[in-house]
Amino acid sequence: MIRTENVVKIFTGRGAEVRAVDGVSTTVDKGEVVVVIGPSGSGKSTFIRCVNGLESFDSGHVYIDGVDIADRKTNINKIRAEVGMVFQQFNLFPHRTVLENLTLAQRKVRKRKKTAADEKARMLLRKVGIAEKESEYPSRLSGGQQQRVAIARALAMDPKVMLFDEPTSALDPEMVGEVLDVMKQLAREGMTMMVVTHEMGFAREVADRVLFMDMGKIVEEGTPEHFFTAPREERTQLFLKQVL
Amino acid sequence: MKVAQKLWPWQLLLAVILIVMAAGIYGSVKRIDYEWRWYRVPQYFLYKAEDPIKVPDDGTVEEVATAGGTAKITVNLVDGNRQVFEVDATTVRVDQGEELFIGDTVGYVTTWSLGPLLTGLVTTLWISAAASVLGLAIGLIAGLMKISRNYTVSMLAAIYVEIIRGTPLLVQIFIAYFFIGTVFNLDRNVAGIGALALFAGAYVAEIVRAGIQSIPKGQMEAARSLGMSLPQAMTEIILPQALKRILPPLSGQFISLIKDSSLVSVIAITDLTKSGREIITSTFATFEIWLVVAAMYLIVTSLLSQFVFYLERRLAISD
Repeated sequence: MIRTENVVKIFTGRGAEVRAVDGVSTTVDKGEVVVVIGPSGSGKSTFIRCVNGLESFDSGHVYIDGVDIADRKTNINKIRAEVGMVFQQFNLFPHRTVLENLTLAQRKVRKRKKTAADEKARMLLRKVGIAEKESEYPSRLSGGQQQRVAIARALAMDPKVMLFDEPTSALDPEMVGEVLDVMKQLAREGMTMMVVTHEMGFAREVADRVLFMDMGKIVEEGTPEHFFTAPREERTQLFLKQVL
Repeated sequence: MKVAQKLWPWQLLLAVILIVMAAGIYGSVKRIDYEWRWYRVPQYFLYKAEDPIKVPDDGTVEEVATAGGTAKITVNLVDGNRQVFEVDATTVRVDQGEELFIGDTVGYVTTWSLGPLLTGLVTTLWISAAASVLGLAIGLIAGLMKISRNYTVSMLAAIYVEIIRGTPLLVQIFIAYFFIGTVFNLDRNVAGIGALALFAGAYVAEIVRAGIQSIPKGQMEAARSLGMSLPQAMTEIILPQALKRILPPLSGQFISLIKDSSLVSVIAITDLTKSGREIITSTFATFEIWLVVAAMYLIVTSLLSQFVFYLERRLAISD
């Protein structure tokens, strides 16, 4: 479903060169849940943003369903419509109601009729448990509710893959659970997911595979059992000792 | 603990200061022995115009019938036609049986007409409105061009903004009319509105640019991540939010534009300011007319800012 080959992203600032993503190659199969963890500044967020082309990368390839997004001829908007993304800061559209947040892209990009889009949106709002807030503006919702709306907004496009970029990092602790529950439910339903997170519990419970990144490189990858019980690399052991 | 401050002593102080200032002005004017003629002002808003009614050919008056305030004068013309003229009863100039020659006046019709102050105001308003609409369009385009990643496009917009903001509007109006207007044979109204629109556009461009850049990056990313194209994301997500934010500075710009429109009087467009100057040349009521003209500008700009205040409150529902 997703295959990356030697993705390199270099930031240059004040003369210094930072290789934020330094030759990352990995795959995410259909129905697989891959969790990316690592210390801050390890390039995991930059990497996941490269996967749907929000961040342009300097070299390498990202194939979504066999289509290379680094190819200039690829219509990036078409690819993005198939790849849902959830952000750390929710990024709901503040001038639109919750329902309109969910229907706007359906109608503009998928060209769905208003009734069909509304129906889909209401179904998803019920699924994430905030059907009663459909005519509210995002500013009236709590952080956890906003993030659930953001997930529903991405799902409304019927994506083949969902990317989560630290979806719980900006939330108050008591709201983390409600967002993780929605994500767990999605995983159980067989959604292909790539999740950047600091929630080790989520990684252990839901992930099919865990990637550990540091300094822009994948240091170690494996199943959660392997990863949390018998990590091979010294860097991984050190990180887990600090966070667990 | 903070003690609640009483408001009324300060209100009193404000009133005293204003009264002292007004008295000072009054006293100074008294000293120079200026004769106020406020009674002359109303006629420049509305006045009674007397239009003479003339016969189109030679003829004889057959009948003069007065009913109420109007008189009906029936005239037999030499070509055999009979024509009826209606004039005000008090202004009838002919009697029954009188012989008339072509062009003779049988009476007058009085109608209320807009005086120069009101026609000038209308000119000011429509010139400002046309320049505002045009300026908003130009500013929107130039603002979007300025944030373009393409070097040529953004530099074109930057050069436009720099040139316009770095030169006086009065000089721009002269150039628009006497140079560009002469070369392309432009009407003075076109030149005036064009100069005002280009001037306002440069400032609007900067306001629009700042407004767009004030919207968090995440909004554009969220829109693009849903598969929207750049124009779709701009028109559906970024611009609606940006326009709401820039409404206060934008309205300030348009209020400025109304005031700046007084400069087009230099290319002989009879706006409110030029009307005022013309009235003064015939009445010498300098003080009264300029005060009235200033008050008229003030009323228009206050109404506009009240309207924008109302709009802002309506748009605040999603905050």
